[in-house]
Amino acid sequence: MSDDSLQIFAEEAEDLLSLAEQALLNLDDLSDEGETLDGINDLFRTFHTIKGAAGLFGLDAIVDFTHVVESVLGKIREGLLKVDEPMVSLFLLSRDHLDNLVNHVFSGATELSAELKQTDETLLKSLNCYLQSAPITGEAETESEAAPDHTSSAGTITERDTPSVVSANWHISLRFGPNVFRNGMDPASFITYLHNIGDLLSVTLIDDAIPTWSEFDPESCYLGFEIVLIAPNADKETLEDVFEFVQDDCKISILPPNSRVDSYVRMIEELPEEDLRIGEILVACGALTEREKDDILNAQDKMKDDLTADGEAPKIEPLGQMAIDQQMVKPLVVDAAIERQNVVKVQRDASQQTIRVNALKLENLVNLVGELVIGSANSELNSRRLGDAELNVAMENLLRLVEEVRDTALGLRMVQIGETFNRYKRVVREASRDTGKDIELLISGAETELDKTLIEKIADPLMHLVRNAIDHGIESPAIRAERGKPVKGQVKLEAFHDSGSIIIQIVDDGGGLSKENILNKALEKGLIQEGQLLSDKEVYRLIFEAGFSTATSISNLSGRGVGMDVVRKNIESLRGQVELESVEGKGTTISIRLPLTLAIIDGFQVRVGESQYIVPLEMVEECLELNDSHQGSNTAGNYINLRGEILPFVHMREVFNAAERTMAEQEAKHRDNIVVVKFAGKKAGFVVDELLGEHQAVIKPLGKVFQNLKGISGTTILGSGEVALIIDAPEMLQRIETSSTQGKNSARVMH
Amino acid sequence: MPEVALDIEMERADAHQYLTFLQGGNLYGLDILNIKEIIEYSEITEIPLTPEFISGVINLRGSVVPVIDLSQRFSGKRTEIGKRTSIIILEVNDNDLRIEIGLTVDMVNEVLDIYPADIEPAPTLGKQVDTNFISGMAKIDERFLILLDVTNVLSIDELSMVSNVQGDIPQ
Repeated sequence: MSDDSLQIFAEEAEDLLSLAEQALLNLDDLSDEGETLDGINDLFRTFHTIKGAAGLFGLDAIVDFTHVVESVLGKIREGLLKVDEPMVSLFLLSRDHLDNLVNHVFSGATELSAELKQTDETLLKSLNCYLQSAPITGEAETESEAAPDHTSSAGTITERDTPSVVSANWHISLRFGPNVFRNGMDPASFITYLHNIGDLLSVTLIDDAIPTWSEFDPESCYLGFEIVLIAPNADKETLEDVFEFVQDDCKISILPPNSRVDSYVRMIEELPEEDLRIGEILVACGALTEREKDDILNAQDKMKDDLTADGEAPKIEPLGQMAIDQQMVKPLVVDAAIERQNVVKVQRDASQQTIRVNALKLENLVNLVGELVIGSANSELNSRRLGDAELNVAMENLLRLVEEVRDTALGLRMVQIGETFNRYKRVVREASRDTGKDIELLISGAETELDKTLIEKIADPLMHLVRNAIDHGIESPAIRAERGKPVKGQVKLEAFHDSGSIIIQIVDDGGGLSKENILNKALEKGLIQEGQLLSDKEVYRLIFEAGFSTATSISNLSGRGVGMDVVRKNIESLRGQVELESVEGKGTTISIRLPLTLAIIDGFQVRVGESQYIVPLEMVEECLELNDSHQGSNTAGNYINLRGEILPFVHMREVFNAAERTMAEQEAKHRDNIVVVKFAGKKAGFVVDELLGEHQAVIKPLGKVFQNLKGISGTTILGSGEVALIIDAPEMLQRIETSSTQGKNSARVMH
Repeated sequence: MPEVALDIEMERADAHQYLTFLQGGNLYGLDILNIKEIIEYSEITEIPLTPEFISGVINLRGSVVPVIDLSQRFSGKRTEIGKRTSIIILEVNDNDLRIEIGLTVDMVNEVLDIYPADIEPAPTLGKQVDTNFISGMAKIDERFLILLDVTNVLSIDELSMVSNVQGDIPQ
């Protein structure tokens, strides 16, 4: 089995399983029966597809398990069972188990680990309870009989609730591949061998595939057979074994006695000959009665219509298509199945057609676009220097295009955050049950787009914060009732854009944080000193310090005290910030602010000393000259009066230790400029030597050597080839804020 | 290098190639396997708030490469930029990541074959250079060649650790 195919199977299965999870979680909320049925149908289809695919790879563990899940779902669909809460939980667990199984298989292990086996058994036991409790009909038996037919042919189609046929004989449909003779096989010997298993009632030769004599190749086999076999004691496996040597090359369908009509429908569908003709052959050889044939052909048309209406047409169409393809090319069952899966995938949602692209290729493209941006900046610089009007116009056009290419390339990596948010539904559902709290998760801004790499990295910290909100935030129903709040707690996940960054908020309407508790705890842990004055923000910031946890009890959800500082570190490593606001008794809001992308930003270029710096443009509010009229009452305290507002500022020259070299120059003639920067509601001025204008900055990380450097978030290469440094504005603002509080309060604030 | 003198005959076979260069009047050697390229000295962008021996970064065909001033690192004196000042670009391994780092030197000399047998262990009593930085001494034409231990000279952990010593806003 090629690894590639397996990889596709694993990815496919993962997608399907996450769909299943979604469907299951939706079931939970639904009281409307019609919608519940839709959900069950979705689930059934999803599990069925997994089963089919797993069958192709001979992953028996997955097939067997999925089959049982599917059977239970089938019962629900038939109305024999009712969905209830424990059942949904069981399905969720089964889904997880399948996920593990798929991973297990993908990791290359052949044997199940003891742990997996045990889960397998426990889950199967619970699932079987449902199966047995439902009234057993003859049909159910046939189903379980017919079910392990996963090894037989290319994929299985959704089994429908159709009646069984009258014939109590086996039906074998054979289409030998063109290479059978060449491989040294004789079709006749297989049929002769069937005598050892049972009595042949009829053998019908299908010679439709024989071409005209001019194209006839005497070494190729064009024969097909429809065989009716009387063998009441045989089982399917024995029959399959007969054809083991030719199964790769041939199309073989083996239908057990009293198979359901839809098995025939499926078989007919897969056969290359015309449906009507096959129907007649089947009647002639005694496999079907005339009436059954008509039913089947009708059912088939109906099924096609049904499925088309469902938007699930591809499940039928490509199969038919492929059966034809397979006549011509050597039928590689696995490849064909993958093709089918891909077709299903692409057509599943025509409105959102997607293709899978290797992440590395995408990364490469983005890198190249980065180089392109740098290259074009260089060209622009030179063209401007030459002063050729026509060249400049051409350059202008080129630049505009490059900018578009840049935006499109970056857009490729953007994905909606909704999918990530939806994952937490499950977390909330389970966590609220574990804690005995009634909690609903509200999601808004699910369509907000964010860089894929960012989303991946933010998932874990978010998970932690959501759990925290449930565990520590929301109070128990009793306390909520006492406090006059609705018993059902709310956790809200929100995402929206704000001045070039994306903000993700986790809002709960729980008990909020007690400032006193935080302060006491911080004192106890030695994070602050007695008598220290802290603003609200600073108090809440303490929560994100290492080793800080206010929970008095440790639950299995959170409270180990390693969480929040890790969350903060993770977010900061993404050039983001996290902040917490809380009103005691009312709830807590945690805001995570992240840059939109990690690759390219619009920057504002300035000069400090001899070096060039870039300030992210979306944070720049305005630029002004620093002169005496601005210089307010406190020059030493470093703030100016900006149209009646107090604006703290820093001399970047001092911050970056470039003072000595430029001081003389500055006193002689230089007038300083202030770049007013705003971020997360904070405003401050950076005093720089010179304003140089806008620049598209391709962010080049500083690398490991500078991993601990604060205040610089990266570098970029200018059109001239020089390296410019990107100022970490949020970090700077934070420092300014910290130092201005230091100025006001005598106490020293820990950072 | 404990195995140096074990079997001279055998060791003769695999001579290592070393790039020799001059720095502050001393002759140094670097195992050529670590070296990616040698470029002419070009303008270095300083990075604020970093230790003195990190000169800054250069743009090496689109990637930003940090440059270490060897003279600063060894003796605390800035390299005098002259006509023959060069930057040797090395690749250093750090947790399976290959990191490029530049090294400013006064003058690059030549590539020499040096047999392991000709290398003596670093003297325990170092003079100007921290003995940690030396992997051995080789005698070439009556002169001593100091072979540098790249992993110690350019230890990423050490370089990045010093970066955060300074860096508070001056009041």
